[in-house]
Amino acid sequence: MRRTVGARLVIFVGLVTILAACGGATSAGTDPTANDLPGGPAGSIEVSGSSTVEPITALVQEAFASANPSVGISVEGPGTGDGFARFCAGETSVTDASRPIKASEAETCSAAGIEYVELQIAFDGLTVLTSPENAAIGCLDYHDLYALLGPESEGFDTWADADTLAAELGATHAPYPDVPMVVTAPGEESGTFDTFAELVIADIAEGRGADVTTRPDYSPEANDNVIVNNLSTNPTSLGWVGFAFFVENADMVKAIEIDGGAGCVNPSVESIADGSYPLARPLFIYVKTNDLATNTALIDFIDFYLSDDGIANVSKAGYVALPDDLLNAARSAWESASS
Amino acid sequence: MISRTAPTPDLVQAALAGRRFRLVDSLLAGGLLLSLFSSLLVLITLLADTLRTAAPVFADRGLVFVTAPLSADPAKAGVLQGIQGSLALTLFVMLIGFPLGVSAAIYLEEYATDGGFTRFITANVRNLAGVPSVVYGILGLALFVNLAGGLTNGRTIVSGGLTLTVLVLPIMIITTSEALRSVPATVREASYGVGATKWETIRHHVLPIALPTILTGTVLTVARAFGESAPLLLAGALVTNFFQPSADASVVQLITDERYTALPLVVFNWARQPQEEFVQLTAAAVVVLLVLLVSVNATTILLRDRFEMKSLR
Repeated sequence: MRRTVGARLVIFVGLVTILAACGGATSAGTDPTANDLPGGPAGSIEVSGSSTVEPITALVQEAFASANPSVGISVEGPGTGDGFARFCAGETSVTDASRPIKASEAETCSAAGIEYVELQIAFDGLTVLTSPENAAIGCLDYHDLYALLGPESEGFDTWADADTLAAELGATHAPYPDVPMVVTAPGEESGTFDTFAELVIADIAEGRGADVTTRPDYSPEANDNVIVNNLSTNPTSLGWVGFAFFVENADMVKAIEIDGGAGCVNPSVESIADGSYPLARPLFIYVKTNDLATNTALIDFIDFYLSDDGIANVSKAGYVALPDDLLNAARSAWESASS
Repeated sequence: MISRTAPTPDLVQAALAGRRFRLVDSLLAGGLLLSLFSSLLVLITLLADTLRTAAPVFADRGLVFVTAPLSADPAKAGVLQGIQGSLALTLFVMLIGFPLGVSAAIYLEEYATDGGFTRFITANVRNLAGVPSVVYGILGLALFVNLAGGLTNGRTIVSGGLTLTVLVLPIMIITTSEALRSVPATVREASYGVGATKWETIRHHVLPIALPTILTGTVLTVARAFGESAPLLLAGALVTNFFQPSADASVVQLITDERYTALPLVVFNWARQPQEEFVQLTAAAVVVLLVLLVSVNATTILLRDRFEMKSLR
């Protein structure tokens, strides 16, 4: 018997289809069980935005999803700016943000008719790090950081190279040891870079007519694990990462205390929450309020996010939980927006 | 003019009578072997390191790792949605790319007259096969996600599948063309000689002979599509710690409404997570990717061999 070419092709494609269907069958298998569970709200919730906030939202979604299997939900973290672009284009109903919305972004949103409510959900601290072997450096103030990392520090290969600039600025902790300085930090695309430039560099740079940026001659790294690794292996290193990455690797690196004008403060959950650690930033979610009336799943999701069970994921993801007054403020803001 | 002098009988005599061991020859052979080993060594190191890092995950969690969904919690995270997404994308490439590519190649080789236009098309197809995959990602974003968003529903698996299909189509056409060209002209002449039409000749004689080679090309193409990540990033696949398709969704809705991810993107996302456990998970996901790739390839190769035996009979 000779089969025709057509028949063979059908079999060939068919077998590959079966192979692929094996993967798909597992998801289809959840269909019947869904009907047995208490009926959750149907709908879909797409979240985009900050990669810093993404781990929190992912944990909240996961807890929410098991109780609400009929809601299709997803989260991704391309960055705060990209997140607002999609949010204001109406593509997502919630966006994560590691900074407040910019005026230009708010204009885009209002031009598109997108109404939203801003809810602060956590704090993140920016930690300036060095190697645990670097005993000479324990605390730095903004002038120190500007002298060591600011735009005018380009070409400084040792810590002592910054002495002249530091003296000119009146930095408290100069002079520095005459040892090589190797800087590894997040790249310019990162929100963590932006926050550092805004909090530390901006005021001094504007006063001196310099650009609000860091020195260009450092090793920019997109992967925070690599930054921590580089900082720990070089005894006189310098760099910064988000607080969560420091907490995960606290045994490998040393956090430098920061003097924001009121004395040296060590970054910790307590000092970030009470506002005494100067390099802290709020983390937000922005919720689109236009379609709250039709999308009941969205209301349930944000209700859960701000509930005690939901907000507990902030600490689980390595970030700093809000003090009660700020959490209550977020809850009442959501209350008035959703009712 | 050949500048080198032809070996004289004297030289041949000398070569025959000379030592058996020739230093230059053995050095050359050694060098060639060394270059083989250097590439093998990198591969083996990579595999060994990945397997070693991944071992604890499979030891602790076994196959649960493969059947568990994505999670931001490293103790629970699995690769289920990645596998589903990758296999569904591969299916798209097979169902759309294969018939389209083979048909295009049959037209080019059998029907098209060998004019300037045909040559222009052929040259372009060859160039397209060399275009970096990320460029196809931009094409997919512009064409399937944005322009045809009404049909594909934006960033769905339909857009991703079509993007990968367009990516592999040139390779599919080229390999099929080569396969058709390697069929001896005498086969066609004999078929025409007994009065067969053009289509009968192609269907009953040319295609069966060319099929094993065509399927070899398909294996390579499927492997390429399976491992791609850059075009999917642009065409809107999720890079995420968690997502859940609605459990109420039908299969059609799963394809047209819901977001998706693919195994290479799971690897990419896990490699940048803060928790140390994700290092092991990343390696484990790489192992799953390799095993799946090998089994998809093995299936297609087995099928090809089956057809090869049949068509020789």
